[in-house]
Amino acid sequence: MDKGFSHLDDASLIQNIQQGSHEAFATIVNRHTNRFYRIAYRLVFNKDEAEDMVQEAFLRLWERPQLWNPSRQAKFTTWFYKVVISLCLDLNKKKRPVHLPEDMELLDRHPGQDVLLGIHQEQALLEGFIKQLPARQQLALNLTFYEGLSNQEAADIIGIKVKALQSLIMRAKTTLKEKVRRYLPGGSI
Amino acid sequence: MTMKLKQFKENLLVYGSNVHEWPEDIRQAGLKAMETSSELRTLLAEEERLERVLKTRKYEEPSSDLGERILSASLSRRKRGRRGLSGFFSELVWEFGLPKPALTAFSVSLVLVLILGFAIGFADLTGSVSTEGSQTDLQEFLYYEGEVL
Repeated sequence: MDKGFSHLDDASLIQNIQQGSHEAFATIVNRHTNRFYRIAYRLVFNKDEAEDMVQEAFLRLWERPQLWNPSRQAKFTTWFYKVVISLCLDLNKKKRPVHLPEDMELLDRHPGQDVLLGIHQEQALLEGFIKQLPARQQLALNLTFYEGLSNQEAADIIGIKVKALQSLIMRAKTTLKEKVRRYLPGGSI
Repeated sequence: MTMKLKQFKENLLVYGSNVHEWPEDIRQAGLKAMETSSELRTLLAEEERLERVLKTRKYEEPSSDLGERILSASLSRRKRGRRGLSGFFSELVWEFGLPKPALTAFSVSLVLVLILGFAIGFADLTGSVSTEGSQTDLQEFLYYEGEVL
């Protein structure tokens, strides 16, 4: 379907989309859907919602492709990360606050005990730890550790300076390290 | 250049446990510091453990048809977005898969035809029907009809 466009870079594809090319749009969707789904999933913690957020972001691009201006924004992906993240954060605001799983209280009363939790329980605990981080710390962790973006690119996406981003990463990891040490002392992960 | 404990700890958090991938300007200092300090090696081991834990985080792959769904939804979105006369003609051209130049040529032709039509309509004064004439014709018609009836 997109044979004529697959060799084009993102900026050229957007120019074609701005002229109404659905094939160019198909190319960019096929090229980037998984990448943006990953960050959406990491932020909303739910497959269906993550898919909805990615779909909504792409549809906005299709309806108003002129919103991305290559002369103002450095890279298409940087700008589109912002679109997806913004949608996800809006969705999260509508959700109820996160509470720790009951298992954690049990573990906390007996630090160091040799409790073997199932992998699913451990994953649930880890999700809980991450959900409890402030939104900006979560973002910094997701973009750098899970997405593998450079500090500079992650800082551009969040809209902060690199030093501030590094501070967010340090705080996020320090908190997580402490919680892992405390609640998952002898787990399988 | 030597790297102190605090710096090493911060770099571990920011750049991760693979010291070989740290930025060039601090990489050698990091490796050297690690070689000479068991305390730093312990910190490194802690960081490696944290990263192992973080990598076990739950993740679900997207549906295989997500891309197709997005493309399908985009077609209906654009249809809804088009409104008015220009939207109608755009839609018409879109449905038949015509390229953008064809749409432009079609629109320009339509506008020219409309302008020509108005010009002819306003310029042809002889073709206009006066009220008086109309009444005469009507009277003649009624009279004629009356004659017949």
